[in-house]
Amino acid sequence: MTAHDETVFLLDDEPGMLKALTRLLKAEGFVVHAFTSAKSFLESYRPASPHCLVLDLAMPEVNGLELQERLTLSGVLVPIVFLTGHGDIPMSVRAMKAGAQDFLTKPVNDAELLLAVRAALQRSAEHHEVISATAILQQRYSRLTPRECEVMAHVVKGHLNKQIAAALGIGEHTIKVHRARVMEKMGVDSVADLVRAAERLVLVHPPPLK
Amino acid sequence: MSWVTILWSMIASACLTIAAIHFMTWCHRRTAWADLSFSVMSTAVAFYAVIELAMMRAQTPAAFAVALRWLHVPTWAIVLSIVVFVRLHMGVGRLWLAWSIGVVRTLVLCLNFLVGDNLNYLKVTQVQQIRFLSETVSIGKGVANPWMLLGQLSLLLWFAFVTDATIAVWRRGDHRQALITGGSLIVFAMAGVVQSVLVLWQIVQAPLTASVFYLFIVVAMGYDKSRETLRAAQLSDELRESEAQMTLAAEAAGFGVWMWTVARDRFWASERWRRLFGFDPGQSLTFEMFIQRIHSDDRARVESAIRQALTDHAGYTEEYRVQLPDGTERWVSSRGKVYPNGSRKPGLLLGASIDITDRKHSEEEIARQRNELAHLSRVTTLSELSSSLAHEINQPLAIILTNAQAAQRLLTQNPPDLAEASDILADIVSEDQRAGEVIRRLRALLKPGQIDLQPLSANDIVDDVLRVARSDLIGRGVTVHTVLAENLPDAVGDRIQLQQVLLNLILNSCDAMAANPPMRRRLTLSTAFLNGMVRVSVSDTGCGLSTDPDSIFKPFYTTKKDGLGLGLSICRSIVSAHTGRLWAEPTPPTAVGAAGTAAGGATLHLELPVVRETKS
Repeated sequence: MTAHDETVFLLDDEPGMLKALTRLLKAEGFVVHAFTSAKSFLESYRPASPHCLVLDLAMPEVNGLELQERLTLSGVLVPIVFLTGHGDIPMSVRAMKAGAQDFLTKPVNDAELLLAVRAALQRSAEHHEVISATAILQQRYSRLTPRECEVMAHVVKGHLNKQIAAALGIGEHTIKVHRARVMEKMGVDSVADLVRAAERLVLVHPPPLK
Repeated sequence: MSWVTILWSMIASACLTIAAIHFMTWCHRRTAWADLSFSVMSTAVAFYAVIELAMMRAQTPAAFAVALRWLHVPTWAIVLSIVVFVRLHMGVGRLWLAWSIGVVRTLVLCLNFLVGDNLNYLKVTQVQQIRFLSETVSIGKGVANPWMLLGQLSLLLWFAFVTDATIAVWRRGDHRQALITGGSLIVFAMAGVVQSVLVLWQIVQAPLTASVFYLFIVVAMGYDKSRETLRAAQLSDELRESEAQMTLAAEAAGFGVWMWTVARDRFWASERWRRLFGFDPGQSLTFEMFIQRIHSDDRARVESAIRQALTDHAGYTEEYRVQLPDGTERWVSSRGKVYPNGSRKPGLLLGASIDITDRKHSEEEIARQRNELAHLSRVTTLSELSSSLAHEINQPLAIILTNAQAAQRLLTQNPPDLAEASDILADIVSEDQRAGEVIRRLRALLKPGQIDLQPLSANDIVDDVLRVARSDLIGRGVTVHTVLAENLPDAVGDRIQLQQVLLNLILNSCDAMAANPPMRRRLTLSTAFLNGMVRVSVSDTGCGLSTDPDSIFKPFYTTKKDGLGLGLSICRSIVSAHTGRLWAEPTPPTAVGAAGTAAGGATLHLELPVVRETKS
């Protein structure tokens, strides 16, 4: 049995298909939110615990690829499993390049679909983990004073206390105090850990949605 | 032999001969009452002459008196038969005068037998011998009967009647009849009357010779009648000639002609008609034999058309098949007309038939080729749609598979969710039916078939076509609006071919809008009942029409790089075969709606005839 908070967002313009997929995924214990259009999906979509999107490629108005593009542009990293009525190679290439999790042709085999969904959820969980770790670091970072931030920037660049004191025009002893405070507030034991935390804060820096 | 005997015998025999001839005529044509009256009159004149002769030969006053008494019988007959002749043959004469003459003269005849020796003498006292035509003849002497005046009054009335009738004939322009028949009636009747008045009032010493004058009247009337016979003979010649001309013309034009005398069931037909219907030249025919030659599938229809024409005294036109005894079949076009027989009864049915087998075969060939072409074009159109149609079938299959697999999983759970599984099965059934429906529609469209005109709803056609084209329209990003009229009368048409036409129009419109941004790919389908026709219109917001909107219906006209340019021309030929109309015009700006701009687009109208209400 899978965890309760694993959510699948389903999008298909064909109500019959939507219903069938919902049943299959629910039977496997997933939480399923079904939508018949991209518009209604976007209105109620809130990224939460591990989740993924199962998306029909050919939909009226906003199609699957367009929706993928919109999500990427707004910085939402959600694994997408595409479903399509007719296996169109250029389209599948486009989808995969844009970071799709999988590309399946209807009629889709249940085992295949579940495999893809699980993989997508796995990836989502990893994202989730990364994102939550970063969020903690960010919170800790926000507690630093401006001076401590300056000191930390120098420390992660590998500068010695003497060099930092010269650069900031303050005493070396004061630097030592700031440095100890930074290590404590950021919850790290070594400079190496601090460097890793700093990297995360810079590399994975999700801008707010929309 | 004396002159008097010879002359009077000749008068009598001549009159009897004429009487016999006209009596025979009347025997053959019982409606020829004028001939009968003439015959009676001639007979009466003959008897008159014989009695006159007897009077001239009378030796005793009693013999003279008896002869004179009997003379009044032919006189009565002569007077009345002339009145009848004038009325019937010449068609003139006042009716009240005619009746007065009849009554007075009959009264006179009665008095003749009741008062005195006869009407003229109370008593014949002696017979006197005088010389007449160098012969000795008897004349009567005695006391004149005053009732004689009544007889002369009747003759006066008679004279007035004849004169009035002659004037009427002259006035209606028949001068020859007025002069010869009317003139001689006036002159000789006058002469006869004057002579008998003078003789019988014993003013002039002479025998009665009125039969001579009556003979002239008989001759004049006989001449009149013979002119009629001559005219009849001439007419019959002309008739034969015109019949020969008509038959010649009909034969030359390839028509076989026939005639049915309904009352006597006499059926006559020309040589050509007999050949057409497979009868021998000499064979005697009946109407039933003709009806039996008609193909059993057409017989009831033709027979009822003929019966209808007979009741209405009208004509009919029918095309039907004739089945010859050797089994061959030929198509015949036939026209007939009923000529009533005076009264309300139908008398004659005349008909003309022509062989139209070749024309029918070429019509059938054209129809067959048109159907083949329509089928080919249908297959081509559908092949354009093949990928969306595949999707249309694939979709329900995918839903069925997913549902079935979901059910499998549900059933392995503990406890299994039976309610959900039952819902799933219901969905599977309906999806399967949906796929079956798509396949059924496709098969109908792909099947080559003959045109089958049936009453159908234009709204259903629109619906059917939109179902087939749905996926394709979504794929092309076209939004569809339908404006369907309610209470639309049924149109007449072939469902499949009309679906094909509409599908073609829709796909053409989509092609015309391919270059538009998705917001301006708007297709409007509407139905309406206008001017007694059902109209289906397809409006787009595409690139519009050239200056000559009709050019798009020309064969090989195309704006697509891979198009054949036959679609619309085939559509138009299909619609023509439905006796409908297909034409194009620019989309009116109002119909384009909010998304539309001045760019317009095209509207194609398809008009179809409606079901005619059949006479109950």
